[in-house]
Amino acid sequence: MSIERIMEIWTQYQEQIWEAIGQTFYMVGMSTVAAVILGIPLGTLIFVTRPGGMLENRAASVLLNTLVNVIRSFPFLLLVVFMFPLTRMIVGTTIGTTAATIPLAVVAIAGYSRLVEQALVEVPRGVIEAARSMGASRLEIVWKFLYVEARSGLVLGLTTSIVSFISYSTVVGIVGGGGVGDFAIRYGYQRFEMDVTICMIVLMVLLVQIVQVVGSTISRKIDKR
Amino acid sequence: MAILSLQKVSKSYTAQGQTFQAVLPVSMEIETGGIHGIIGTSGAGKSTLLRLMNLLERPDEGSVFFEKRDLMRVSERELREARRSIGMIFQQFNLVHNRTVHGNVAAALELARTPKRDRDRRITEVLSFVGLEDKVRQYPAQLSGGQKQRVAIARAMASNPKLLLCDEPTSALDPQTTEELLNTLLHINRTLGVTIVIVTHEMEVVRQICTRVSVMEMGAVVDTFDLPKRSEERVRPNLSYREQILGLVHKEDAP
Repeated sequence: MSIERIMEIWTQYQEQIWEAIGQTFYMVGMSTVAAVILGIPLGTLIFVTRPGGMLENRAASVLLNTLVNVIRSFPFLLLVVFMFPLTRMIVGTTIGTTAATIPLAVVAIAGYSRLVEQALVEVPRGVIEAARSMGASRLEIVWKFLYVEARSGLVLGLTTSIVSFISYSTVVGIVGGGGVGDFAIRYGYQRFEMDVTICMIVLMVLLVQIVQVVGSTISRKIDKR
Repeated sequence: MAILSLQKVSKSYTAQGQTFQAVLPVSMEIETGGIHGIIGTSGAGKSTLLRLMNLLERPDEGSVFFEKRDLMRVSERELREARRSIGMIFQQFNLVHNRTVHGNVAAALELARTPKRDRDRRITEVLSFVGLEDKVRQYPAQLSGGQKQRVAIARAMASNPKLLLCDEPTSALDPQTTEELLNTLLHINRTLGVTIVIVTHEMEVVRQICTRVSVMEMGAVVDTFDLPKRSEERVRPNLSYREQILGLVHKEDAP
């Protein structure tokens, strides 16, 4: 594929490509926000309710773990369809970028909560013990000790999650979610313009690379252990 | 007078259906102003007994009186307040590695609700007390074992505790550093009047700084006795390896 062809695709589809990139950023961005705002508390709850945890609670632990596992084991496309009623309740429609964001956010929260739990497990028990000995409340232990000590793992986990959100976001083209993946299918695959598809795949690979490099760098910089 | 008194406290653990009695009913008085050693082999229950003193481990039964108050009967909030008057240091130091030396001490002051404007002054104070005022901006990973334990001491001392619990504080340190650290603990005891409880398996530690010692075996305290009073210069100055080794050989040779 020549440079000229790439330029040609670009000039021809510039508007649509920008729109697709915008939609991908919107879906991935919203999912990331959801993962941070709800995934971190959920992962923390799973961590503290586990046997031997600070708020050991067998019922809550089993319930939360099952919930997260069920969501994570759902084939994503089926989850999108399965969640139509909830999506309609929240955004009023099941079609479009915002509607597509709902199942994406649900998967994001469940997936990231598991990585949050794993990052918290890595914190040495002794640190929690020291915090307790200084009179820290449970909330203070979590905020001032656990998150501080697990922060590089939290960032690394979020990076892994964002990469998977980018991948998931291509699937929601099916419900009119749009995005780079959807553009590749509609303009490349369905019109037999294979080179358009390839251009979009390259674009997504680049996007993933950037996310990964930025995430890994931040994670390394804030890790003083 | 006793600053802390354990009355028939016991602790058992259940793992895989097996019950293990870590501490048999133990009663013990920690005299105000002293340095109380708890010695015994590993698995004797010393560290668990120490954790019963600030309820890091809740005793199955018994009472823990700290300054006349039974910690077993106070609310969770009151227990947290009491813990701010009871410092603790650990064998593995347990510092927050993603916080600087300054940040580690600051965390203790935040927990103690020390007003912001007083924090920096207090941090400088405790860090210079342990001789680390030049390390404020460093992270624990950049420090030696002895320095880490000093940061842990500074952190534990930040909220002006009356009692300092030490769980094998020198077991991860070399002999020279151990000596220096024991001097620091002695200094804290003598100049600040802080009562110290120190768990150790090293006879030498007890010999050097303790005023009283309890011996533990299989979850029970089998012996408790006072150590003879010693003069101020009891703690030896830092000897070189040569002096220490030759001194030791010399002593063993004597009939």
